[in-house]
Amino acid sequence: MRSGALSFNIKKECNVTKARSGVMKLPHYEVKTPVFMPVGTQGTMKGLLPDQLEELDCEIILGNTYHLGNRPGTDILEKVGGLHKFMGWNRALLTDSGGFQMVSLLKLAEITEEGVKFKSPYDNSEIMLTPEKSIEIQNCIGADIIMQLDDVVQTTFQDYNRIKEATERTSRWLDRCISAHQRPTEQSIFPIVQGLLNKELREQSAGEHMKKDVNGFAIGGLSGGEAKDDFWPMVSLSTGILDKNRPRYLMGVGLAIDLVVCVALGVDMFDCVFPTRTARFGCALVNTGQLNLKQKQYETDLNPIDKDCTCQTCKNYTRAYLHCIVTVESVACHLISVHNIAFQV
Amino acid sequence: MRFTIKQTSCSGERIGLLSGFIKSPNTTIETPTAALLTQGGSVAHLTADVLSKVFSNPQLLWMPLSSMAHLETGAKAQGQGVAKFVALPEHVVCSTFHNMNEETPQGHFESEKVPLWTRNGKKMITADRYMDMMEVFKPDIFLAIADGHTSLDEGHKRIVKSVSRTCNMLDVCVKRYKESKQLQNSSLIGVVVGAGLPSKCAECIQQIKKYKNTLSGVALQGITDGTKESYKEPIEKIENIFKRVGDAVPKDLVRIAEGCWNPAIIVAAIEHGWDVFGGSYPLELTNAGHALVLNYDVNRYSGEACVLDLNDTSYRDDFTPVLPGCKCLTCRKHTRAYIQHLLNTKEMLASVLLSIHNLHHYDQLFYHARQHIASNTFSVFKSHITKQYDVAKTPYMNGKHDSEMTDIEHLKKKVKISNEEIINGHNIMNGIA
Ligand SMILES: [Zn+2]
Ligand SMILES: [Zn+2]
Repeated sequence: MRSGALSFNIKKECNVTKARSGVMKLPHYEVKTPVFMPVGTQGTMKGLLPDQLEELDCEIILGNTYHLGNRPGTDILEKVGGLHKFMGWNRALLTDSGGFQMVSLLKLAEITEEGVKFKSPYDNSEIMLTPEKSIEIQNCIGADIIMQLDDVVQTTFQDYNRIKEATERTSRWLDRCISAHQRPTEQSIFPIVQGLLNKELREQSAGEHMKKDVNGFAIGGLSGGEAKDDFWPMVSLSTGILDKNRPRYLMGVGLAIDLVVCVALGVDMFDCVFPTRTARFGCALVNTGQLNLKQKQYETDLNPIDKDCTCQTCKNYTRAYLHCIVTVESVACHLISVHNIAFQV
Repeated sequence: MRFTIKQTSCSGERIGLLSGFIKSPNTTIETPTAALLTQGGSVAHLTADVLSKVFSNPQLLWMPLSSMAHLETGAKAQGQGVAKFVALPEHVVCSTFHNMNEETPQGHFESEKVPLWTRNGKKMITADRYMDMMEVFKPDIFLAIADGHTSLDEGHKRIVKSVSRTCNMLDVCVKRYKESKQLQNSSLIGVVVGAGLPSKCAECIQQIKKYKNTLSGVALQGITDGTKESYKEPIEKIENIFKRVGDAVPKDLVRIAEGCWNPAIIVAAIEHGWDVFGGSYPLELTNAGHALVLNYDVNRYSGEACVLDLNDTSYRDDFTPVLPGCKCLTCRKHTRAYIQHLLNTKEMLASVLLSIHNLHHYDQLFYHARQHIASNTFSVFKSHITKQYDVAKTPYMNGKHDSEMTDIEHLKKKVKISNEEIINGHNIMNGIA
C-alpha cells in the first residue's frame, strides 16, 4: 500500500523537541510541512476563489466526504473527473471518511460492526456507511490523501468498554478500507489512531497501525472538550510510536496555542474549521486572541486588523470599516476569512 | 468632474467622457456606462482584491446613502472621503439617496424631510442633514436629495408634493454646495422627479435649468418606487419618458438613469441620450442565481435565452462555462455545474462567481453600445438586444425577479449559519469555552 502517491522528506529537525519541517510530495502539489489545512466543506472555502487561496499560500485543503457524497454526489464527481476539476483547485486535497460528520451530525446514528447506520437528513432514508462505502466515495472524489473510516466516540466519553471496542473496531475497519481502496497509486490512505484519553488503548492502536504499509498516519479523537493536560500527552504518546519518516496528521485541532505545542510534539498536519467559521461572526484572529469587530470600540479604529499581517485585508481595510459591515455584507465574511486563513497558514 | 460629449448621432445616442476627477486626474470613464452597485460601501459580494480581478481600470461606483449611512462615523474619523474609507480609493463614487431597486414603506413624510430607510430603520433627513453627510463622504459625484421614490401610477397629489419638495430641497443643496469647502471637488446632479405627470415633471426640469451653471448633470427618478409592479410597465411607456425628459434637459449635462432596467430598456434610453445607469440589474440577477448571457454579436443570433437560471438542476452535469467564449474569471475557470452546486448548497462563492460574470458581461453591453454608436450602427444593435428580450420571455422582463424575498430576507439568509457548520465547529467551540 505504500506507494508513490506520497513521499515525505524531512528537511530540518529540532534538536530539543520532536518538531520537524519537511516537504510532502503529493500527486497534485508539494506541500511544505508543518501545514495547516483550511476546511472547505462543500467543495468551496467560504466565498474565496481558488486564486485567492493560492495567493494565501494554501497548499492543501480539506473536503468533507459526507457532504460531497450527497451534493454534488458521486455521479457528478465521477463524470467531471474528481473534486479538483469540479472546483477548479489544482493543489492538494484531503478528504475525511465521513464518519465524524455522521456521528456528530446525527444523534440517531447507530454503529455496528458493519458500519454506521443513520437517517439521511436530506430525504430521511436509511443509509449505511461502511468502510468500503467511505473509500468508494473518497476514490471518486479523488483527493491526494484519504482517511479510513473510524469508529468515533465522543471525546469526553468515559465508558472503557465502549472506547476499547471503538479502538479495536477502528483497526478492523482499517483492514477493510485498505482492501477496498481502488486507487493506491494516486491516493494515500491514512489510518486513524484512536483510544481517546486511554494510554494503553492508544498505544495498542498506534502499534497496530504501524504494522500497516501506509504513507502516513492520522491521530483522531482529540479535537476538543478535554483539558490540555490530558490532550497533549496523548499526542506525544502517539507521535512517539508512529514512524518518524511518515507524516502525522492531528485531526480537528487548529487553535494557535495547540498548533505550537503539537508541532513541538512532532505533528506535521492540522485542520480546523474555526478560522473561517468565526469569520462569519466578525471575529478576526490575532496573536493576542481574537478581535470581535462588531464591538463599538472599533467604530473609529483606523488600524488594520493586524499591522504586521501582509494579507489583502490588512493591506487595504481598516477595523473601522470592517466594523460597519461585519455580519451584514458577505464581503466582510470574505475579508475576515482571508485574514484568518493567512493568520493560520 | 468634466463631462465631454465626443460624438452625437442624429437620433440622439451619444458617446461621452467623464474626466477631470481631482483625486485621480488620469481617470476617465466613457459613456454610456453603468455604475457598479455597492452595499455598505463595497461592490456587492466582491472584495477590493477580487474587484481588481474583474476590472483592471477605475470604475464608477453607485453608492446609495440608504446602505452606507452607518459608515458616517468611521468615514468622519478618517476624513478622506468614502472611497478611501471603503478601501476602493482609485474608483469614482457617485452617491445617491435611495437604492431605486429597494421597496420602501409608503408615507412617513414630514415637510422638507425625506425618510431614509437604512438597516437600522427609518431616519428623517432634511436637505441640510443630507449635505452634512455628503461633506463627510465627499463623493466625486452626488445626486441632490429628492423625493423621487414614486411609481408612474402614483396619485396626483403625491406627485405634486414630490415635485415641490424636491424643488425646495434643490435650493438648499445648491446653496450649501456653493458654500462648501469639503465639496469643492464633488459634482452636484439635479434630480428630475414626477415622471408620471408631464406638467409637474416639466416644472422640476425648469428648476434644474435655473441652476444649469452649477449642476453637472441630471438624474431621472419618479418612474419606480422599487416595487415589482412598478417595473412591469410596458417598455414603450418607459421609453417615452426617457425621450420626453431627455429632450427637455440641457444637452451638455450628463444624464443619469436610476432604476433596475433590463438591457432592452437600457438600449432604448441610450438612444435618447442617457449616459449613466445605476448598476442594480446584474446584482438582481446574481441574487436570483441567474447569469446574463445576452448575445452581442449582431451577425449571429439563433434565438437562445439571454438569461440562464443556474438553480435549475439540468445544469448539474453541465461542465461548460456560464457563457462559452466569455473572458471573465468565472468563465475561464469554472463551470455551470459547479455554480449549480454552490447555489444548491447555499455557498457564498456562488454569488461571487455570478457577480464576476454578470458584472463583466453587463459591462460588455455598454462597450458594444459605444462601439455601435461610434460606427453609426446603434439602431441595429438596439433591435438586436430588444429582440432577445422579446423572444426569450425571460422572467426578467424589467429586472425584478418573481421571488417575494425582500433584500432584508436575503441578508438574513446570507448570515444564517448552516446546521452542518454549527456542528462541524461544535467541538472546537467546546475547546475554547
Ligand atoms: Zn491580515
Ligand atoms: Zn463570463
